[in-house]
Amino acid sequence: MPQLLTNKRLILLLLGVILLVALISFSLRDRSNVSLPEQIIKDAVGAGQSVFSRPAHFVTGIFDNVDSLLNTFEENQHLKTRLEEFAGVQAEVKDLRSENEELKQIVGKEKDLREYNPIQATVIARNPDQWEEKVILNRGSNQGVTENMAVMTASGLIGKVILTTPTTSTVELISTLNPNYRVSAMVVGGDKDVFGLIEGYDAERRELLLKRIDADIELKEGDQVISSGLGGIFPKGILIGTITEITIDEFGLTKLAYVKPAADFSLLNHVIIADRVMPEVDGEDNGVTGDDES
Amino acid sequence: MIRFLIPLVCLVLFFMEPVFGLFSPLNIGGELNYVVPRFLIMFLIFLALYYDLKHAMFYGLFFGLLYDVFYIDIIGLYSFLYPAICLAASFAFKRIPRNLVSATVLTIVLLAVFEFVLYQFFLLISLTEMPLGTFLSTRLWPTMVANSIFLVMLGWMFKSVIITQLSERDNKIGLY
Repeated sequence: MPQLLTNKRLILLLLGVILLVALISFSLRDRSNVSLPEQIIKDAVGAGQSVFSRPAHFVTGIFDNVDSLLNTFEENQHLKTRLEEFAGVQAEVKDLRSENEELKQIVGKEKDLREYNPIQATVIARNPDQWEEKVILNRGSNQGVTENMAVMTASGLIGKVILTTPTTSTVELISTLNPNYRVSAMVVGGDKDVFGLIEGYDAERRELLLKRIDADIELKEGDQVISSGLGGIFPKGILIGTITEITIDEFGLTKLAYVKPAADFSLLNHVIIADRVMPEVDGEDNGVTGDDES
Repeated sequence: MIRFLIPLVCLVLFFMEPVFGLFSPLNIGGELNYVVPRFLIMFLIFLALYYDLKHAMFYGLFFGLLYDVFYIDIIGLYSFLYPAICLAASFAFKRIPRNLVSATVLTIVLLAVFEFVLYQFFLLISLTEMPLGTFLSTRLWPTMVANSIFLVMLGWMFKSVIITQLSERDNKIGLY
């Protein structure tokens, strides 16, 4: 029987392990910057990946269509009841919008935290070993995507861009366990807007944690949570989710609310990257606040 | 036959993994089941068993590196594990009867080992806090079932692809 490990092999194996540990620690330490060879590989694989993802999206599209056809009757009933409400709301929105415009003109305010330029993108791949919640989009720095931009679907916020190459960008979903992942958010629905931070994700409940809410403020279940735009990068007013439960946080000083995300994170297809019109500043949405950087 | 059939199959499988990954997690009865497609490593194990170890390890290194850079951003993880699994496969195959069934079983066992090593690694660098029980029931089990179905359906095809390439190589050696 041949010996598995001769001396030469043993040395090679040890060298390999040392190299491996060095490489892993190197890439774990500095994960926000992409070196040139990495960029080239990412772009090349991304180009190949878009070729393969197109037919896949086509097939899932067919399934989606069939699925929605099956529910047509129920949906139609539901929508009919909502339609009457809608006409009234629309008139009100129009009225409020024009009033808002007028008021803005009077004050002389041109830009708004809410405004953003949408960049349409398609999900070309999801990290196949789903340990990290990441998806890869087919738009990159050539199309004006930069790091920390908000990414959303039609139904709500899903994550932010953490890495860009010329033609692809990597999005870390909001359902990540990364402790540095923060989104400054606010609760609407009460008399006053309440500000807090989306920090962390409860994997068991599949809900986001809204932390650092003043303990005196009363919140209701069912209130909507939107991005506040005060974190410096995200635009204001992107729907994040609805509150399902309110408790006190682990230190007993502030309140903690569980937020059910509005967007569905599985089967992502078309997404919108929000490029905020207002100048971006360092803030919570960055993941790195000023203090951490030193 | 085409000369570059093996790298071509590797490339197609590599690109197919994330496409199938888009369907996951599957929601069955209110539980999320993570299915991780592992087509490439299964093909590489077959390559190590039926073609030769050196080629399998080389392809493992190359595609592992692509995988690391594009998806994981931790360089050295897959590019080490792919060749290591190939090495283990070829070592183990010398000690068991050589047929398609035993090769399939060996591949599935190694796949479970592979998943488990990855889980331990991500636990170590605290990318995940998933308890062992949840890992076994919502990740390992569905992944093994899905990949076994794939392998049982396409294992014979893997083998025939490799065998044709093998006979071609042997013929070529005969020419010189």
